[in-house]
Amino acid sequence: MNLLNVLLPAIILISLAIIFSAILAVLSEKLAVKENEKIKEIQSLLSGANCGACGYAGCKSFAEALVSGKADINTCNATSIENKKKIAEILNITSFSTNETIAVVACNGGNNTENKFDYQGFTDCKSAALVSGGYKACAYGCLGGGTCANVCNSDAASINCQNIGEINRSLCVKCGLCVNACPKRIIKFIPASAKVYVKCSNHNKGAAVKNICSKGCIACGLCAKICPENAVTLIDNLPEIDYTKCVGCGLCAQKCPTEVITQL
Amino acid sequence: MEYLIIIVSAVFVNNFVLSQILGICPFLGVSKKIDTSVGMGIAVTFVMGVASVFTYALNAYVLTPLNLEYIQTIVFILVIAVLVQIAEIIIKRFSSTLYNALGVYLPLITTNCAVLGVALINVTPSLNYNLLSAFVNGVFSGVGFTLALVLMAGIREKTVTSDVPRAFRGFPIALITAGIMSMAFLAFSGMV
Repeated sequence: MNLLNVLLPAIILISLAIIFSAILAVLSEKLAVKENEKIKEIQSLLSGANCGACGYAGCKSFAEALVSGKADINTCNATSIENKKKIAEILNITSFSTNETIAVVACNGGNNTENKFDYQGFTDCKSAALVSGGYKACAYGCLGGGTCANVCNSDAASINCQNIGEINRSLCVKCGLCVNACPKRIIKFIPASAKVYVKCSNHNKGAAVKNICSKGCIACGLCAKICPENAVTLIDNLPEIDYTKCVGCGLCAQKCPTEVITQL
Repeated sequence: MEYLIIIVSAVFVNNFVLSQILGICPFLGVSKKIDTSVGMGIAVTFVMGVASVFTYALNAYVLTPLNLEYIQTIVFILVIAVLVQIAEIIIKRFSSTLYNALGVYLPLITTNCAVLGVALINVTPSLNYNLLSAFVNGVFSGVGFTLALVLMAGIREKTVTSDVPRAFRGFPIALITAGIMSMAFLAFSGMV
């Protein structure tokens, strides 16, 4: 066997490789792009949930948009307050909200609510809501189709045995995707410090609610009367809790005859 | 006339994606938006054209005289990989939007079998190509690839908003579309 037959291909390949690597080395040096250090720093501070709720493709694009001043840090709900503060320092901005929030489903209906008609379409809430506002007799009620569970990237939203949406607090990253996806708009952000919340969204009068839902707010106003801090007021037949005044005594939740006010 | 036949053959009759089923990965991966698909098509056309010239020249002037045709594949892959790297550096420098849009598919041109395919077809002895016809074949194979990609992207942009049965949503409908397009391109066969 001729030694040259073995060596020649090896020599050719090696010389090609050397030429090519030299070209690449020169080009990458000459055409190098400087990446902004801030972007990397901010990206490491963001939650990394990549939920897309801010409207950007992921945390990296959001970080780029933040640095270029196109995005607002407040549109990210998933990042913790401490990290937001650090990001604000890097960006030299002060305008960001310091309230930690959690998402809750403000409906207690589900199987406790009557149906208007027999719905036989796609189970998705958005489809269901298109047919005369949904098949539930309550115009404000959870349809139980699981749109919130479908959009949730962190498996926090689910439909419970009562056929009501439920958000697992320990899994929720507060991205707000479900809040925007719910066609009934009954998923709401409340302060993370909240001890009680109103688990109904029906603004109708008591009798109308009583006829269709056994767990709906009948606007009796007991909660507003019992509250020692005057934190609860009845607005449009629905109690509203002022979380700045609420001390979390839980009296309203104990008094509520239809168990609408729920303790967290 | 000879070059016209090569062009028609490369773009329509032997379209790399739809007739020869090469380069399917970027065809399905980057065909969601027309803008991105045009960018990808241009990048692939560039790599194919330049790779054709380099690989043909290497083969004709280095490998054939030394009777080393059997290392064609590895040499061609080396050349293609370098060209892709150069394309990547250039795109990153001059259009970060396109760079972000192409994402992982840009380095994937390296292993795009359409590029290696055109390089190997160019040096097929029975075709008897010269350097210029190899270059023309390379560029217009890229144009054919771009055509297939843009057509696919146009259809996929429409399927996103149309009422697709649930089981077919997303990837399945893209595969079915690709199959039907491939059948449509079958009508060109036998023209050259």
